[in-house]
Amino acid sequence: MSGEKQRTKRVCAAYLLAAAALMIAVTVSFCVGKYPISPQELLALMTGGEVKEMTRKVFFTLRVSRTWMAVLSGAGLGLAGAVYQIIFKNPLASPDIIGVSSGANLGAAVAIVAVNGVMGSVAAGAFAGGLLAVALVMLLVRATRSTATSTYVLAGIIISALSKTGIMLLKYFADSEAHLAAMEYWTMGSLAAVTASRVWEILPYWTVGFAGLLLLHRQIQLLSLNEEECQALGVRLKPVRRTVLALSTLLVAAIISVTGLISFVGLIAPHIANLMIRRRDTHTMLLSSLIGAVVMVASDILARALYAAELPVSTLTTLIGVPVLVWFMCRRKEGRI
Amino acid sequence: MSALLEVDHLSCGYAHQEIVHDVSLTVERGEFCALLGLNGCGKTTLIKSICGLMPVRAGRCLVDGQDCTPLNERQRALRMAYIPQRGSLIMGRTVLEVVLMGFNAQLHLLASPGRSHRKAAMEALDRLGLAEAAGRDYETLSEGQKQLVILARTLVQDAPMLLLDEPDSALDFVNRNMVLGKVREILHTQGRGGLITLHDPNFALAYCDRLLLMKEGRILQSLPLVNAARETVETALAGIYGQIQVLCHQGGFVMVRRTEEERSEADGTL
Repeated sequence: MSGEKQRTKRVCAAYLLAAAALMIAVTVSFCVGKYPISPQELLALMTGGEVKEMTRKVFFTLRVSRTWMAVLSGAGLGLAGAVYQIIFKNPLASPDIIGVSSGANLGAAVAIVAVNGVMGSVAAGAFAGGLLAVALVMLLVRATRSTATSTYVLAGIIISALSKTGIMLLKYFADSEAHLAAMEYWTMGSLAAVTASRVWEILPYWTVGFAGLLLLHRQIQLLSLNEEECQALGVRLKPVRRTVLALSTLLVAAIISVTGLISFVGLIAPHIANLMIRRRDTHTMLLSSLIGAVVMVASDILARALYAAELPVSTLTTLIGVPVLVWFMCRRKEGRI
Repeated sequence: MSALLEVDHLSCGYAHQEIVHDVSLTVERGEFCALLGLNGCGKTTLIKSICGLMPVRAGRCLVDGQDCTPLNERQRALRMAYIPQRGSLIMGRTVLEVVLMGFNAQLHLLASPGRSHRKAAMEALDRLGLAEAAGRDYETLSEGQKQLVILARTLVQDAPMLLLDEPDSALDFVNRNMVLGKVREILHTQGRGGLITLHDPNFALAYCDRLLLMKEGRILQSLPLVNAARETVETALAGIYGQIQVLCHQGGFVMVRRTEEERSEADGTL
């Protein structure tokens, strides 16, 4: 049983490490930006001490909601990524696989062209587009009457291709350069426009998706088995799989409706989690979500700090994620996960 | 009392092709039945249809007198357990966790297995001599041990009827004997019923109580092995495997191929 103790230790260590990294990242994220807040001021803000009015305003209206959104989006994408890699039995699966991001992209593009992206129309369009795309994928799968998980991948490819064609047409006929630029920027992702009200708007959807996936963790683990073995163990394959996909779609669509497309977090966080604890269970899902949050907050810090103007966050998620993944890949032992 | 498993005029197959035609069979409590036949005769299709993994075209399939064809996966899993040819690729889970998956049908959808479930899982592992391995990673086990873990998972699933589809195909000679021996022992001591498909008739002759001989989607014959005459067994098996000979060996039977000489000899005596 010494193997078990060692395993428990490793899991605890991984959680502690990820939690500590997240705390540090969040603290730094509160401070960094065009209007820097010093650690002393931050401490004063936390303890209710004397601070300049401007500092208080920046902290509460900008930094908190922005950091909060980074945590929510990283955690959500990390969890959804882990779930997709488990149920599609594919280390390359990410939430994009069944079309949620290309659908959201089309929805955002339509909102930009049709109503100039006024008010919350881009977010609403992206959210609706993401959900609609996955709904179409599910209808398509239903029409084939197939029980194979791979059918979802195929249907996802079809719907993604259609969405991309739609985007291409919109870009071609977009009447002004402003529209084109807005569409392109949306695909690079950014937390610059996050406001507290936007965060509150998506929080219910995020919570339903996130909590739902965690509650279904045992069924999700069972879905990693072959379809037949899974059914023979009493998993109601079709309804359970549909529910899991719907919950994760809700989660991801809620996130990217605010942030725009964010690449790589959903793909890389589960791998880092796997390599850290060498497990593929509920701990992997939770840890992946913590790691996703760390990567996202760190990326957003760099997006604000590296250059005079803000950088697109998707460039940084990749730049941060890749070295970490490479480090863990080099450390892994032969024959392990 | 009626039989444990009763397959009643079952026809099944794929969308445009019926593979199994009008099959009826029964399996009693504590009985280990083998489904024998050549490749493509419909053994696997029949087993999968009984488990509800493939659609049934006509007929019924009863466990303990209840028709299982209209049940959902969860209700069915409480009545029958299925062991596939080769288990799924399972990574990063311990042996105990794999066995605990067997409780799925008994647990509420969102519940997790508790202390009593762990205890029962450990007992099942202990029964199969795997208690030591409970904390090990499942993927580090040998194929034979993996099949035993899957068997332990099936035990905790607690279904009265076990369906096994060539569970021995990835195993070597020693492991094959061990796994089949354990299955037989469990069925006999716990009064469960077992239906297994096997490629090698000698293993069926050694471990099963009754043979169901299948050809072209139909069951030709049901052949109890207890007190069976050598000639009866030979004629029945020859109906499927052709030129063979059944020998008596240590109170059981062994099937061998006829050599050319024996064949011509046999022809001459006719």
